[in-house]
Amino acid sequence: FENKVPEKQKLFQEDNGMPVHLKGGTSDALLYRATMLLTVGGTAYAIYMLAMAAFPKKQN
Amino acid sequence: THQTHAYHMVNPSPWPLTGALSALLLTSGLVMWFHYNSTILLSLGLLTNILTMYQWWRDIIREGTYQGHHTPIVQKGLRYGMILFIVSEVFFFAGFFWAFYHSSLVPTHDLGGCWPPTGITPLNPLEVPLLNTSVLLASGVSITWAHHSLMEGNRNHMNQALLITILLGLYFTILQASEYFETSFSISDGIYGSTFFMATGFHGLHVIIGSTFLIVCLLRQLKFHFTSKHHFGFEAAAWYWHFVDVVWLFLYVSIYWWGS
Repeated sequence: FENKVPEKQKLFQEDNGMPVHLKGGTSDALLYRATMLLTVGGTAYAIYMLAMAAFPKKQN
Repeated sequence: THQTHAYHMVNPSPWPLTGALSALLLTSGLVMWFHYNSTILLSLGLLTNILTMYQWWRDIIREGTYQGHHTPIVQKGLRYGMILFIVSEVFFFAGFFWAFYHSSLVPTHDLGGCWPPTGITPLNPLEVPLLNTSVLLASGVSITWAHHSLMEGNRNHMNQALLITILLGLYFTILQASEYFETSFSISDGIYGSTFFMATGFHGLHVIIGSTFLIVCLLRQLKFHFTSKHHFGFEAAAWYWHFVDVVWLFLYVSIYWWGS
């Protein structure tokens, strides 16, 4: 293992207005979008499932 | 923009939002699992929860180690936060001990008026549980060795001692898991099994969380994140590990030893 802390400090202290959760680059953006998509999409699906469960179809 | 104070002004973060939504997915996922035997929402909840935890704590490392926001006054806040968290954990376990002593000190006549209840064969406290006690006590020593090595700038000793602590934690988990296969009682066949598995099971979960915390510390140590004067992440992990150790001592004395 080599000490990469100084270069990371340079990267994350750069004055470019990027918030810390995106400051690391492309992989940060991909991970952030995936997380947002899964949580928001999942929440819509959860509400749909709960609504379906709340109004069960009558069984004939 | 020039900051003239030592406080940490955080960036707006998406993680509280994704964390809250993932908590909704976890709870509604459990409902869908219990009710319809469908595990899609629950898996989604677990996945997004892990993603949120990873990125949130990754950002805290960036803020502390790479951006220098963890000034002495900010570290003081982190210390209070960790202390309050551990106090809340103490009360969490106090509830299980309360249930255990409530049930065992004055056993009802349904149990045969005795503890352990009639028909229960408890584990022998002088076998694996005693070994587990010495494993955790030894890990308490090795983590102190790691801390002192870190403060003295002895990198090799710090790495070794921290690795030993983690291995002892994993050994404890393996022993506990094998011990669970040996029990003649289960969580669902009476108050003895219920109190036993509730308390020791949540303790085991905390050992796994503590081991994960220590593994993260070892990875950060290998990547040169800690200095001899600035390493609160490690100290918090050590506090947590000692807490888990102390809970085990109470479990051992109360449930394994006195309770058998």
